[in-house]
Amino acid sequence: MSSSPIDKLARERFAALTRRQFLRGLGACVALPALETFLPGKAFASEPDPGLRLATTSTGAPLRFGVVYFPNGAIQPSWWPKGDKTEFELGQTMLPLENVKHSLQILEGMDHVNATPGPDGAGDHARASGTFLTGVRVKKTAGADIHAGISIDQVIASKVGHLTRFPSLELTCDAVRKSGNCDSGYSCAYQYNLSWRSPTTPVAPEPNPRLLFERLFGAGNHGERLESLRRRQLEQRSILDFVLDEAHSLERQLTYRDKQKLDEYLVSVREIEERIQKAEHFGNPADPAIPTPDGIPAGFEEYVQIMFDMMVVGFQTDSTRIATFLLANEGSNRPFPEIGIAEGHHSLTHHMNKQDMIDKVAQIDVWYVKQLARFLEKMEQVTDVDGHSLLHNSMIIYGSGNADGNRHTHTNLPVLLAGSGGGALTPGRFAKFGSVPMSNMLLGLAARMGARDVDRLGDSTGRLDAI
Amino acid sequence: MPARADQRIASATRLRTCFAPWRSSPGSFLPQSQRRADFGLAAAIILLTVRLSLPIRAESPPPSSYPPNVQKILTTYCYDCHGDGMDKGKVALDEFNSHAEMLARQDLFFNALKNVRAGIMPPDKKPRPAAEDQQVLADWIKKDILQIDPQNPDPGKVTIRRLNRVEYRNTIRDLTGFDFKVEEELPPDDTGYGFDTIGDVLTLSPMLLEKYMRAAETITREAVPRITRVPPEQIIPGTGFQGASCDAQRLSFYQPANVNHLFKAADAGKYQLKLELEVLGQFEFDPGKCRAIFKADGREIWTNEFGWQNGKKFTFDLSQNWQAGDHPLSLEVQPLLSSDKKQNSLDLRLRQVVIRGPLDNAHGTRPRNFDRYFWKDPPQSSQERRQYAREVLTRFATKAYRRPVEERTIGRLVAIAEGVYKSPAKSFEDGIAEAMIPLLASPRFLFRVEQTEPAGSHEKYPALDEYALASRLAYFLWSTMPDEELFGLASRHELRKNLDQQVRRMIADRRSQALIDNFVGQWLQVRDLEGINIDERVVLARDRGEERELEQRFHRFRELQAIPKEKRTPEQQQELQRMIDERRKRKQNQQNVELDEGLRRAMRAETEMCFGYVLREDRSVLELVSADYTFLNEKLAAHYGITNVMGNEMRQVSLPPESPRGGILTDGSVLVVTSNPTRTSPVKRGLFILDNVLGIPPPPPPANVPPLEDSEKGFTDHQPTLRETLEIHRGKPLCNSCHNRMDPLGLSLENFNALGMWRERERGVDIDAGGKLITGESFQDFREVKQTIVTRHRLDFYRCLTEKLLTYALGRGLEYYDVETVDRIVQAIDKENGRFSALIDGVIHSGPFQKTRSSSVSLANNASAPAVLIK
Repeated sequence: MSSSPIDKLARERFAALTRRQFLRGLGACVALPALETFLPGKAFASEPDPGLRLATTSTGAPLRFGVVYFPNGAIQPSWWPKGDKTEFELGQTMLPLENVKHSLQILEGMDHVNATPGPDGAGDHARASGTFLTGVRVKKTAGADIHAGISIDQVIASKVGHLTRFPSLELTCDAVRKSGNCDSGYSCAYQYNLSWRSPTTPVAPEPNPRLLFERLFGAGNHGERLESLRRRQLEQRSILDFVLDEAHSLERQLTYRDKQKLDEYLVSVREIEERIQKAEHFGNPADPAIPTPDGIPAGFEEYVQIMFDMMVVGFQTDSTRIATFLLANEGSNRPFPEIGIAEGHHSLTHHMNKQDMIDKVAQIDVWYVKQLARFLEKMEQVTDVDGHSLLHNSMIIYGSGNADGNRHTHTNLPVLLAGSGGGALTPGRFAKFGSVPMSNMLLGLAARMGARDVDRLGDSTGRLDAI
Repeated sequence: MPARADQRIASATRLRTCFAPWRSSPGSFLPQSQRRADFGLAAAIILLTVRLSLPIRAESPPPSSYPPNVQKILTTYCYDCHGDGMDKGKVALDEFNSHAEMLARQDLFFNALKNVRAGIMPPDKKPRPAAEDQQVLADWIKKDILQIDPQNPDPGKVTIRRLNRVEYRNTIRDLTGFDFKVEEELPPDDTGYGFDTIGDVLTLSPMLLEKYMRAAETITREAVPRITRVPPEQIIPGTGFQGASCDAQRLSFYQPANVNHLFKAADAGKYQLKLELEVLGQFEFDPGKCRAIFKADGREIWTNEFGWQNGKKFTFDLSQNWQAGDHPLSLEVQPLLSSDKKQNSLDLRLRQVVIRGPLDNAHGTRPRNFDRYFWKDPPQSSQERRQYAREVLTRFATKAYRRPVEERTIGRLVAIAEGVYKSPAKSFEDGIAEAMIPLLASPRFLFRVEQTEPAGSHEKYPALDEYALASRLAYFLWSTMPDEELFGLASRHELRKNLDQQVRRMIADRRSQALIDNFVGQWLQVRDLEGINIDERVVLARDRGEERELEQRFHRFRELQAIPKEKRTPEQQQELQRMIDERRKRKQNQQNVELDEGLRRAMRAETEMCFGYVLREDRSVLELVSADYTFLNEKLAAHYGITNVMGNEMRQVSLPPESPRGGILTDGSVLVVTSNPTRTSPVKRGLFILDNVLGIPPPPPPANVPPLEDSEKGFTDHQPTLRETLEIHRGKPLCNSCHNRMDPLGLSLENFNALGMWRERERGVDIDAGGKLITGESFQDFREVKQTIVTRHRLDFYRCLTEKLLTYALGRGLEYYDVETVDRIVQAIDKENGRFSALIDGVIHSGPFQKTRSSSVSLANNASAPAVLIK
């Protein structure tokens, strides 16, 4: 091959176009909000209790809370580390995390009893994801009356969401939804949503990276986004005035159940209004000097990576401090041709104790962890406003609501916690808790986010602070 | 029946039955523990003594709860297992002390009704009630237990429905003429009861509302013309340019070329030319460069250099002053790099040239879509302008809301429009477009608001008004808003009068394809086809019994490949090469089967076309199960092993009597969506038939199902077939009650592999598709199963299909009080020998489709009615 200058240029251009490099050197591209913005008592002088320090680290930097969910549990022997406390070796599945081991806490003994069959029989997948962040026993129904609980991310968002442009972000890599009942008489809503705004309203996650990016920073190329965002806000205001009036006039015609439905609408209107007001309060958003991502990539690996990138950029620009990410719906039967696995993930997890099937599931587990590792490494490379890494100032859960995917167990769930929470967490440990409701741990994280007055979640029996 | 009379009959029955053999003994008032004792005539006498010795019982004799004719049926057919001390499945029918207690268990009786009708109860080998007795039982359950008034059954209440993605897209298309890409812009909808039309689960979140607001902006921007006149426009496609031995669709960077078109200008004036080009490159880099030159009248008017830019599109705006007459146009390509430097390929494609002009307004025409919103140039005076704006917006809003719009709404819209068009640099049309944005985000547009006829407002179940009816029809049959004709009829209050004629018209209309796509797509799950992954190689190897070898080969191949090339021994290298060669050879020798886009599309089309044919030709719905024809193209026919079908186009094909195909259950689509990635799943297939054809789904599996591995352990000599494995699994008492229902049905389809192809063997063993249904019928193969369904289980299928279609049409799950409605439709279908029109008409004329609970009643019922759902 020749190495003429044109050739070289083209190659570089090509490299720049690949989405994997999307965030290469992002730190330099994003104009970071000045640290003072975050210093308590200054930007949020109106805060009723300035000592509460909502979603803020001890240095005054923002504190982030993220949840990444992987489906179908994990092969147990490969998942768990060997050792104890700070002296431990990562298991086979977690080997890709070696570089960020010091930021990890692998939690042993996290249970979700409400995901067990109990009186409800089959449907462990629906329950696994439905319970994961809510801690409640979700109602077994195929549709009309779905009922879970408010998820912890939304609980925290209700307390600290006003600090950022977006109270929370919900992401997914599952753009296609199955029709029909999903799992043994459970509505698909339980498997395709992690976040629940209210017991009856799941927050549908966004599958399209482009739309997500445009929501955060405005449409168009770098340099045009601000203008497009401002124009939109103006238009939105006039739309909202009109539709609110329409909704109120409609409300008078409706009866009970219909009123509830319309209420979803009214709540949405109110929230968008608040967001616009907030946007004015916050001034201009960041305009990252990176291209807007295209739509959904064809390859799953690229897809997962770009969604992780969206999470990084969302946190880094302090557009939000809360994000949940469903890698694939619980029970996902995605095959992994990327690593030569033709069978579906879920089918394989019912492995009949056949070694070759177990190995394949373990490979899939590793694959997912590899994606996580890349994400965490990126988080570590990005420097936050206080000079620490973004990962340092975050609390990221990575876990599944099934422990053993073959037997559908929901005790000792595969859950790990990454990041130092700005110093509020003690990572670098294999922490054994025996057997506690995972909800207790979630409350522990909520408290660090400033939601200290929240003392119940689903089946919680207390707050787990020793994390 | 008055309670007192009820009791009298009850005691009489009891007295008479006291000395009858034990099966009739009145054990219902004894404690559970005693009833579990071993019964016999002697025991009955002792029990009688016990009973008489209980003073409390003597004071208030327990009322029998059943009328005598019902009691007789229950005693004869049910008490063997569910009475007289037996409580199989924890069901004892003689435990009720009063009618009120029975009313508290409507779900139990409702399920009993379903099971008896489906032939599941009493079980095979036990005597079964004759049709008349079944009727007695059904009538009694419906009337006395479910308390349905057969003359005026409760129509239920549909929760206000948000438009789902499909409905939104179609409604926007019909309303504005703009095709909005919902798949990209809106999140998928949740489904309930198997469909995405269910009001209760169509939720709305702030994110979604934001998307709707944004969509409204996009749609009005794209759809509403902002000026009243545009210059005439001509589009010359790339194919309109001719050249000697070259194609304007693919001009190589390495070949000089020249393509030409002769443009005829009708009038003199200034013209605008938009040149649209595209560089077609491979993913891999290619160094090619070329210069492109565009000429008009032989003069160069534009030139540009191109290099490797991956698949990018370009547009260039040019302008020309032209006289009327001919103007030759040409595009020339001059290579800038000699072809020996070529690494891949690089081409320039002329997509099209758009010529607009003369730009002078006198020649202008109305822009696209103008007539949809406007009908004249805006008047000059402010007063008249406002009046015109009011008319334009009233027309649009009425369509968008699908019913007349309140005066104050119009007032607000006009104010918005005026606010915009009065500001400088904004046109009248800009103002109108701006006012349309909030309309498209309004709850009255996004939700389907229904009102009742004012005349019936005092009734318990008032009829929906005709606007609501028009919308119900349109969204049911077309998945879109009502068209002008429906809307016109509703506004004149003539829709109900012309209902049948309108339904015929709507089904004949092309738009009824939406019913086929959306209903069939979800009922038979063929929508899921695109997301299914099947490993063709493993499936075919399993059929041949070579699964293990294939697995070993895969394993070894990966092992060898994992060794870096320079570290492989010569033997390893040779082995790898041999494996690659052998694979190539196998590929040549074996039929190349790939479940690719084309095949999937053909499969889906087959199922949809079958349904569409039965619907549009008004044939018997039984043909959906068993037909002597199907719809194929060459590709799908070859996949099925059917010869003599040529070409890509799908068409109806007659099947010979011995063909195993015909009917949706042997469609590739259904066979594939009910398979696992590497094999068939008789359990899924059996469940599919029970769920979607017979309407008798088994209860969900219990917790802690013993793993299937236990069932495979016994086989040490060979890999068991699915039939063998399932047989062992079924042997476990915990599993057999459901698997006995599912497995025979699923196994009867074992001749069709996971790709929907016919096969004789699985794991090298001849397939035995024979078996016996839980309802007792034996069969040899799936053809006989189909025959059984369309004869003995005909009514079950009618009922199942009715329930599915009614759920889809209403947008709510069916409740126990709908059983009367469903029964009537089933009777009507049977009377009409299964004709589809009987089903459609039945649904459309039904109470739940035509009426609703009045708002006051609905409140009361919501509070008290137990939610008994049809499972």
